[in-house]
Amino acid sequence: MSKPEYTGGGSLSDLRVLDLTRVWAGPLATRILGDFGAQIIRIVDPRSLMPRASGYDNKLSRNKLNMAVRLDKDAGRQILLELASISDVVIENFRPRVMRNLRLSYDEIKAVNSEIVMCSMPGFGLEGPYSEYPAYGTTAEAFVAMPWLIGYDQSAPMPTGIAYGDPISGLNTVGALLASLRKRNMTGGGQFIDVALVAGPATTTGEFFVANSADGYEPEVRCNRQPDQAPHSAYKAAGDDNWIAIAVTSDEEWNSLCAIVDDESLCDARFSDLEGRKHHEDAIDNVISEWVKPRDAEELTALLQEAGVPAGRVANSRQLLDDRHLAARDFYVEFDEPEVGPKPYEGQSIPGNHVDKSRWQRAHQMGQDSRHVLVDLLGYSNDDCDALASEETVAFSHDMPNSAAGA
Amino acid sequence: MNRDSISDQPTNNNVDVENLPLYGVDVVEVAQGVAGPFCGRFLAALGANVVKIERPPLGDWSREVGPFLPGDVRSECSALYLYNNMGKKSVLVNWETKAGMDELATLVSNADVLIEDWDRAYREEQRLSTDRFTSQNPELIEICATPFGLTGPYSLWKSTPMVQLALGGFLYLTGDNAEEPLMLPGRQPDYLTGLNAHIAVQIALWERARSGKGQFLEMSMLETLGTLHQFTFLMETYSGVTRTRNGREWNKQGPFASYGITTLPCDDGWVCFGISAEDQWERMCAMLGREDLLTDPEYDTRQKRSENSATLDRMVIDWMKGKTRQEVFRETSEVWLLPTAPVLNLHEVLGDPQLTRRNLFQPLSHPVAGDAQYPTFPFSMSEFNTVVARAPLLGEHTSEVLGGELE
Repeated sequence: MSKPEYTGGGSLSDLRVLDLTRVWAGPLATRILGDFGAQIIRIVDPRSLMPRASGYDNKLSRNKLNMAVRLDKDAGRQILLELASISDVVIENFRPRVMRNLRLSYDEIKAVNSEIVMCSMPGFGLEGPYSEYPAYGTTAEAFVAMPWLIGYDQSAPMPTGIAYGDPISGLNTVGALLASLRKRNMTGGGQFIDVALVAGPATTTGEFFVANSADGYEPEVRCNRQPDQAPHSAYKAAGDDNWIAIAVTSDEEWNSLCAIVDDESLCDARFSDLEGRKHHEDAIDNVISEWVKPRDAEELTALLQEAGVPAGRVANSRQLLDDRHLAARDFYVEFDEPEVGPKPYEGQSIPGNHVDKSRWQRAHQMGQDSRHVLVDLLGYSNDDCDALASEETVAFSHDMPNSAAGA
Repeated sequence: MNRDSISDQPTNNNVDVENLPLYGVDVVEVAQGVAGPFCGRFLAALGANVVKIERPPLGDWSREVGPFLPGDVRSECSALYLYNNMGKKSVLVNWETKAGMDELATLVSNADVLIEDWDRAYREEQRLSTDRFTSQNPELIEICATPFGLTGPYSLWKSTPMVQLALGGFLYLTGDNAEEPLMLPGRQPDYLTGLNAHIAVQIALWERARSGKGQFLEMSMLETLGTLHQFTFLMETYSGVTRTRNGREWNKQGPFASYGITTLPCDDGWVCFGISAEDQWERMCAMLGREDLLTDPEYDTRQKRSENSATLDRMVIDWMKGKTRQEVFRETSEVWLLPTAPVLNLHEVLGDPQLTRRNLFQPLSHPVAGDAQYPTFPFSMSEFNTVVARAPLLGEHTSEVLGGELE
């Protein structure tokens, strides 16, 4: 079957991706491919509930087609294999047994398309003693020691507020997929990629592991303090839970900071170099804390930056959505939704030839593209579609409740 | 020391480099620190020839930043440098002189990719226009990774990892409620930007294979962070809830509140739980022997369970009494299929059987810094292994790469 030209534009417009992923890491990976024009066919189970009201779908499943099909039925499995035969990539993040039980493992998919690049993203990887254990972003970062590198002191671990395993896993997956596709184009042949969610955060803290393996190095953990910069903290500013981060990385920056704070107690020769400032960091922080307390974090950030001192307002979600720099760079994108109105979403931070933003599509509802995929890509008739619907193998959007939310 | 005389075996695995997807891709890297170099390291591991240009006399500034491995020459022993520059060549060129810039321009005129981190202030100071290199080599893919990008109101600001996390909304989310917000360890914004950068390069290579054209790719760390939040913006835009930090309790707020993504103490340390789905809650109650909670009106919604988290915490802590982290991890994962993890320390991670099975850490020997374990990647591939090779000594490959041209 010939592959229809995808007309969305973008650098990756010649790629088709079967996306069976859920939650965050996988959808983040396919969002990137979709923003660059790859045709993403999202495979969802018609029995699952879509969290539409949260906007989560619009955030992560923009620019994707939505195909609702039950893979545990023979006809549904057959549809997936037919789609795999005309796709470049299959990607999933179930626990390992799920795809095995569906008889949709790499070997079975490869049998219908020897050039397929398939990526599995289980928590702990496909092999090894913990391979069937479930994992989430937060448990992943805990497994590789990250909470011991964060904290007010070293008495207790502190997790990130980010579920940090997921974004790292998602970005690595895109890299591995693109490399495999490039290799396929060069030499032919597909690839199986096994991404372990838990391994990701260990690769963005590499220096700690390298040093620990050599001589048992453990970093000292105390708030935001750093061994080679001082002062280096977040200070409470005026208002409710407003803070500013100030990082002095050189004596020159220290002098600039002193000139602005204009407090005699900082004009102390003992503070003129890093060693002295580290030694007296508590005293210095007390002075800066008092100085920051009545002031506005955003105004102070601009004042310090204009004087050459690295500083940044500790932005919350509201402040980030209103950020003047992000606005000037046209970072956000807006999707209108019938029941809730227009909402802003983050754009794409990876530069290059995306699909033009004016053509971005908000998330399609469940089954919205089932008929298009079956008829236009696989050559099914409308009667075939009706039969598949009546045996509840495939769902079409008009079969779903709240179909008024359609695009 | 005559560095050219050192002829150790830099690669520890027998990789057929010619079989790798980026074999034949010539990369010149002038970026320093982590963001650009982590991108270069990724490309090197996939087979690219990465020539790192370092300015004499000190080279990349990360050589002066710890943690340091034991060794006679400190500037060759930075774990930060050694990790981020694996598999590259080091060539000394001072591009801030006329002759040095000519030398760099010659190298770049024959390259496929240039990785640089020249921000707006540096470009103005050095009179470096954005088409300085792409105008001479239209097939060049130039990636420019800076904290704020080259345009917009913050584009002349200074940044550090903490300042970047502050402005990007990550700092606000980590730490105890109403207490000082805490930074993520090391240089996370830089690593994430490096991951984004390597994706941008691979996508641009994909397009170039079709169009024959290179690109100037300008990217911003702040935007990288902006695209890697999970619920942060959605809680604000859909529920009017400004997500904040909640210590070791991750999902305490807003529409996603539930029990319990949380980190709790047991006999020999801490265990991180990642319970969020309804079926996981049901299995947790069964595990605790408290199926009565399933019909208890105090616990019948996710919100109520979140409000009663202190009581639930005590039940889980009591259940863990007499068990080690590993015992809790195995039982919760194998019997109850709950996502959990022992909060390991750096040393325990290096010896973990699952990560060992995945070969996540690889030993490398460095002529000055000695032996250490280096993280590779969170993925593994069926058809090729990535290159695992040590970082170069300062200027180790100057004569090999430049030959007699400098004389």
